[in-house]
Amino acid sequence: MSFSQETLERTELQGEPDWLRERRRAALADFERLPMPSRHDEEWRRTDIAGLNPASFARFERANGAAPAPAPKLPAGVIYEPLATAAANHAKLVEPVLFTLLHHDRDRFAALHSAFFTGGNFLYVPDGVTVDEPILGRHFSHEAGTSVLPHTLIVAGKNSRFNYLDEYIADGDEGEAYRSGSAEIFAGEGSEVGYVAIQKWGRGAWHFGDQRARVEKDATLKLFSVTLGGKFSKNRIEASLVGPGATAELKAIYFASGEQFFDFHTLQDHQVGNTTSDLLFKGALQDTARTVYAGLIKIEKHAARSDAYQANRNLVLSDKAKATSIPMLEIDNNDVRCTHGATVGPVDPNHLFYLESRGIPESTAKRMLIQGFFGQVLDRIPFEEARTLVETELESRIG
Amino acid sequence: MATQPKPVEIGADYKEKYGFFVPEEYVFKAKRGLNPEIVKEISFMKGEPEWMTKFRLRSLEIFRKKPMPTWGADLSVIDFENIFYFLKASDKQSKTWEELPPDIKATYDRLGVPEAERKFLAGVSAQYESEVVYHSLQKELSAKGVIFLDTDSALREHPDLFREYFGTVIPPADNKFSALNSAVWSGGSFIYVPKGVRVDVPLQAYFRINAENMGQFERTLIICDEGSFVHYIEGCTAPIYTSDSLHSAVVEIIVKKGARCRYTTIQNWSTNVFNLVTKRAMAYQDATMEWVDGNLGSQITMKYPSVYLMEPGAKGDVLSIAFAGKGQHQDAGGKMIHVAPNTTSTITSKSISKAGGRTSYRGHIKMYPGANNSKSFVKCDALLLDDESRSDTYPYNDVDAENVTLGHEATVSKVSDEQLFYLMSRGITRAEAETMIVNGFIEPFTKELPLEYAVELNRLIQLEMEGSVG
Repeated sequence: MSFSQETLERTELQGEPDWLRERRRAALADFERLPMPSRHDEEWRRTDIAGLNPASFARFERANGAAPAPAPKLPAGVIYEPLATAAANHAKLVEPVLFTLLHHDRDRFAALHSAFFTGGNFLYVPDGVTVDEPILGRHFSHEAGTSVLPHTLIVAGKNSRFNYLDEYIADGDEGEAYRSGSAEIFAGEGSEVGYVAIQKWGRGAWHFGDQRARVEKDATLKLFSVTLGGKFSKNRIEASLVGPGATAELKAIYFASGEQFFDFHTLQDHQVGNTTSDLLFKGALQDTARTVYAGLIKIEKHAARSDAYQANRNLVLSDKAKATSIPMLEIDNNDVRCTHGATVGPVDPNHLFYLESRGIPESTAKRMLIQGFFGQVLDRIPFEEARTLVETELESRIG
Repeated sequence: MATQPKPVEIGADYKEKYGFFVPEEYVFKAKRGLNPEIVKEISFMKGEPEWMTKFRLRSLEIFRKKPMPTWGADLSVIDFENIFYFLKASDKQSKTWEELPPDIKATYDRLGVPEAERKFLAGVSAQYESEVVYHSLQKELSAKGVIFLDTDSALREHPDLFREYFGTVIPPADNKFSALNSAVWSGGSFIYVPKGVRVDVPLQAYFRINAENMGQFERTLIICDEGSFVHYIEGCTAPIYTSDSLHSAVVEIIVKKGARCRYTTIQNWSTNVFNLVTKRAMAYQDATMEWVDGNLGSQITMKYPSVYLMEPGAKGDVLSIAFAGKGQHQDAGGKMIHVAPNTTSTITSKSISKAGGRTSYRGHIKMYPGANNSKSFVKCDALLLDDESRSDTYPYNDVDAENVTLGHEATVSKVSDEQLFYLMSRGITRAEAETMIVNGFIEPFTKELPLEYAVELNRLIQLEMEGSVG
């Protein structure tokens, strides 16, 4: 099997409406046309993909596209279905938005994801509806050597409120594999959307994820991203603020160990004035892990009275770990408040000394300091279930 | 060479802007464009040793092979084939005061620059009446063993010392413009400070009379031997008028064990100039290198003074300000490359954008494996004076070493309403208040300058704020 036209037309993907098939074909054309990104592309300068050949993972898992985990009892009008089903059942809602935030001509990996996505969910919350219970989307991988490419599409109606979680879980597969996990989030006027993504694929996975949001007037997006798995992970988290009063909170934590390589690319795109964005990425690195953070705050010409904050903090726990931090600003308006900061450093020896002088062994003291480092940002996870999940997950890794 | 040369193409709005152009009459000029024959001719005219001719030719090869940088400012308008790469020094003065653009003359008036100095700055005269000062200074310096020459003379008079260090800090292959400079360089300063010698007076390029010190492709080389100190000042606050529209200098500095070097630049080229400069220092054990870098003029500046911290205890500092007015893009910053353990660096950048100008901070902190226990801190502040202007920050921070601390902070803001209100409630006009705030904003920079420069810089900022310049 290969990532080709033939595969695309295979029976497994059939039953989809024609418009979706057309979109997949267009994405495939981009996939075939676009070259692999090279070290000469600014975005990929510090990202080594020399060992990756997507074609060698041109095999899908059968479990893909299975029904989503049992959902809580949802209020009337809320639609929560596998994306493929929703494309057929609710074409009027899905067709106008699917792949309008995630552009498949951006690079080869976005094209591959768009052409062959399998699995993933569609969530639609109508105007004025509040969902109390968080909705948990879980995506599994089982086999090495395969591709798992789930896509999440979230449409929040006016003044709706809800929380959603995407959890990417490896079920026993540790070998080399190709994974993606992308989400498009449309936060309608006045809505409040909590979105959490936890990536814990197997240690052999190549992961490419794009999370893109469009935040309308007076809407609030609270996005929290957790990266733990994969041998390679490239994650782009981007929010466009398109209406006055829009707010995006973009928070992330990552814990890289062994030979893991994590790459984060963020965008706070203030298209209009009176918008707020607040970004904090905190990561710890140990062993020979490497991380790259590159983020941009962009304030458009007429986006006066925008308020943007961007910070990346890296805790380097070993002498062989490497962290790169590139926080960028492009400001086209003077009536704004923009601040950013980056730090890379070890555990503060004074803090360590303080704890050790109280009889706490070094390893426990270090652990406490790492927990403290993450503690501040964990409080910002928008809902309890996700917080507990992340804390447990982190606990087992720091230990 | 009977044909009258046309003004160079880059900065094409020059003619409209100033409403005239300066007719050039040169006794000798190399042909327009760039090829091995022209490079050989330059080398021959200067009577250079063979190794330098070869070095130039090799650099030209490299220049040809290197692609144009695709980042930073837009350089696509530069037409390398349409530039004169060598004009004989003494012919550069064949302009008259009357022919100068009126706004340049007006600025000199308002800055209170003495007549003789003005002519020198404007390129009308290479004679500056500091001759007396210069002679007594030269005597004092040579008694201490300090060498302070233009780079061409240094190659003739101190060939061995020159060859030992030339091109070792910035090899031709470093980037496209260092290759270009290596192929066609001319003029610049050469300074050697022997072991343990402290030069108390700041050395200034325009003390050095009768030399091309503000050439188009100047090349400066400073060697501070162990335990020595020197402060070198390049440029001045008054606008430097030039009809050359590409300025591409290379500055190499070697700071040996325990030595300290400070290099102060105040760049105020006229706004038709592309200013693409490579500046780099190597700091050895316990040495200190300080770049004090002010960028006010030019159409486009791309300049990132850097320090390679080569041995334990080395320290690097960059303090820079940039002011971008209408049509200007200042892409400036700094680089700190930590190679050895226990090294420290700081970069402080202040930028001001006005009337559609664009300032970019672009920086790189690299901590190589082994540069353990090093520290670096970067702080960038940007002030946007109106909603047409733009400010960018592109800091690259790479840490591959153990137990290092790296911090970066940046803010972008406008002149705060509270500050304005406070000043205006005390009867100060809005324009004056804004000027005071801007002067306060760049104070960390001005206080590092010698007094006369600081005064002139403040006055210049005032002029820029009134919009009466450029």
